[in-house]
Amino acid sequence: MDVLYLLIPVSVLLVFGIIGIFWWALKSGQFDNIEREGERILRGD
Amino acid sequence: MTYIKPMHPQVNYPRGMNEAVVVPNAGRVLGDPTPDAAMATHLFGAHRGPLTVSDNFAVLDDPVEQRDFTEYAEVDGLPLAESVLMVQGMYCAACADTVECALQDLPGVQSAQVHAATRRLTLRWDPAQTRMSSLAQAVGCTGYRLLPMQQALSISERLREMRQAIWRLFVAGFCAMQVMMYAVPAYITEPGEIPTDIHQLLRWASWLLSLPVVFFASGPFFSSAWRDLKQGRVGMDTPVSIGILVTFVVSSAVVFDPTGPWGHEVWFDSLTMFVFFLLGGRYLELKARDRTAGALDHLMSRLPEVCERRTPAGVFEPVSVRRLMPNDVVRVQAGQAFPADGELMSAAATVDEALLTGESHPLSRTQGDTVIAGSFNLAGPVDFRVDRLGRDTRFAQIVSLMEKASTEKPRLAVLADRIAAPFLVLVLLGAALGGWYWWQVDHTKALSVAVAVLIVTCPCALSLATPAAMLAAAGALAKRGILVRRLQALESLAHINGVVFDKTGTLTLDVLSLGEVRVRPGVALSDAHQWAAALARGSLHPASRALAEAQAPGAVDAGLSDVLEKAGQGMQGRVAGAGVFRLGSAEFCGLDANTASDGGSPVVHLADEKGWVATFEFRETIREDARAAIASLRDLGLETWLLSGDREHSAAKVGEAVAVDHVIAGASPERKLAELVAMQARGVQVAMVGDGLNDGPVLARANVSFALGRAAPLAQAHSDYVIQSGRVMDVADAVRLARNTMRVVKQNLAWAALYNFVSIPLALVGWMPPWLAGLGMALSSLLVISNALRLASGAGVSDAHTRVGMIAPA
Repeated sequence: MDVLYLLIPVSVLLVFGIIGIFWWALKSGQFDNIEREGERILRGD
Repeated sequence: MTYIKPMHPQVNYPRGMNEAVVVPNAGRVLGDPTPDAAMATHLFGAHRGPLTVSDNFAVLDDPVEQRDFTEYAEVDGLPLAESVLMVQGMYCAACADTVECALQDLPGVQSAQVHAATRRLTLRWDPAQTRMSSLAQAVGCTGYRLLPMQQALSISERLREMRQAIWRLFVAGFCAMQVMMYAVPAYITEPGEIPTDIHQLLRWASWLLSLPVVFFASGPFFSSAWRDLKQGRVGMDTPVSIGILVTFVVSSAVVFDPTGPWGHEVWFDSLTMFVFFLLGGRYLELKARDRTAGALDHLMSRLPEVCERRTPAGVFEPVSVRRLMPNDVVRVQAGQAFPADGELMSAAATVDEALLTGESHPLSRTQGDTVIAGSFNLAGPVDFRVDRLGRDTRFAQIVSLMEKASTEKPRLAVLADRIAAPFLVLVLLGAALGGWYWWQVDHTKALSVAVAVLIVTCPCALSLATPAAMLAAAGALAKRGILVRRLQALESLAHINGVVFDKTGTLTLDVLSLGEVRVRPGVALSDAHQWAAALARGSLHPASRALAEAQAPGAVDAGLSDVLEKAGQGMQGRVAGAGVFRLGSAEFCGLDANTASDGGSPVVHLADEKGWVATFEFRETIREDARAAIASLRDLGLETWLLSGDREHSAAKVGEAVAVDHVIAGASPERKLAELVAMQARGVQVAMVGDGLNDGPVLARANVSFALGRAAPLAQAHSDYVIQSGRVMDVADAVRLARNTMRVVKQNLAWAALYNFVSIPLALVGWMPPWLAGLGMALSSLLVISNALRLASGAGVSDAHTRVGMIAPA
């Protein structure tokens, strides 16, 4: 069970990492129009 | 004087499509109607006739106007301007592409980017190569409109708010998930099974992940509790904030000092979980409000951006409203709002000042009287002199009031809040007392009891019950294209027992087509057309619009003066070179009923000083879902009326076709109002569905009012609901949804009461550990919100058409 000494801190860092990624996604406007977001790939550019 | 015919590109949404049908209107916008443009417009049915705002893009070139939305710079020695405008009429990403494509290929445009969610266009262009007006025209050709309005800013404001809410929600959510994972071992094992140091590590990790939740995500609770505290009140967020703080402090104390007096329990999982759920509720509320707010902005933007000002030479030129100065003389068209406070210079005017008085009586004003900015000019064009502008006008003050009203709480919510306030004080007292009592008995329990009481109570269920349901319902309606202007209208709609319909434009399509024309012997058909069309142009009545449209394009207007319009009856005016004419009902033209056709279709007569000149017969089509809608309403147990200003015959014909219960025909606006009052006196709660200018007072008087989408802006401004789609069935859907909403609200309130009644004693007695309290509170809020969300999907409404994207893209 010693691996838990590593895993628990890593999980905390992971959560912070995920929050950071979400910050990026939010900033780049991916959550502005949730219902239309899927159509982005269909657009030409 | 050439009359610039105003045009409004209206986007049509055929049922089943969720993209805009592009309406080409290039010809009209340039003032040079080509046959193709006219036909195309006719096919798509977008023409609305003379309207509020003229599409003269020259205003956009005005440097004063431009400065508001453009930044100038120099790049590589070339001038570059970056403008931010709003694209009106687009609701989806494909529309954004259309606009971008239209602009990108034009000379002088460096880049054009449209953000679909905010409808904002960011345009980089070279002022030396092209003009703003040409760019706007190009966009106009695609069927959308560019607006340099303040709305662009308020939309970005709302977006920022949304983003903040999502951000907080996510942080709380993700931390809650992780903290719950850490808490699981503590729940499923016996005390002592987990090695102490791992146990401690888990607690440290929970503490660490609770920090963002407490210090960032819970921000709104603390700030609102602080605000209430400063005012000496106890608000809904006060126990929540206290609960969060106490829980966090005690749990942190346990983490840092495990052997101290604080006990052995940590409650980070409860803490993060209920913060997450509460934020979830708020986010949904915000989303629903956002959707209706965007549509409200559109409706409330009544002030025209462009108006006609008299130059020293005596000619009227279009200028931006911002350019107006006191003492300017401005001409205001029929159906337009006055752009500033001022003094009337024309001999007479009929205005609607419902803005101030709340009553939409057409009021007469004579020369020298004051006119108010934002009031509507009803009859023909009038001139007035500007006195006060902008922020000094009554209108500006009213707008700020209206903004507050849009966040106004419905009656039940106010009631709930009023109960919640003393209840909260009791809860705080109870927590303190419980804590104190248990401190004497078994002081490790004291804290847990106090915290449990604070957390388990859910006044939020009480306060959330009504708004959550109503906002969800408003959102569901908005998706169908029905705008709710006041949340209170949902409750009123649930209690109605009768529905009154207007005929023209409501049960029938508001586009009439010209049929047979009979003229007096000796009068040329084209002359009769020309005179009638000249008079008809100033009016918004469907018959007038049909007349104006029917006139061959390219015909020059005869000069018109001394125009007088009598609402519901007709128009009178002097046509240059031909004398005074009257266009309207048989009564108005001084004719007896014998000359009227008895086919039952709407007719309009033209008469001059000598007598009858011509009769124009119109064909009106009944909306295809009208009959089904009336049947639907009857199934809901509602009585239906048809109230029409038209003759007995045409009203009866339509009444029979749609199978209403009662038909009242030939009613003048005054009589319509009287009938309504009589109905209400009999105890009938009336919903009124209407359209044109004539309906203003009646709509205001009814318990609930609906305006069917293409109506004159006036009617839209007064009604509780606006049906953008023009489907009469939406009325039945709205009623059904309103009834479901009230049922859900009652369920929610009952649950909130029951839950608090049961759980608080349990907590006081000590049978509720804080984690259960947190769970209970969160589940209670969740239950209330989920119950409300059932409405959002339109549950209970039979035909769940999702015409997505009618209002806002969100």
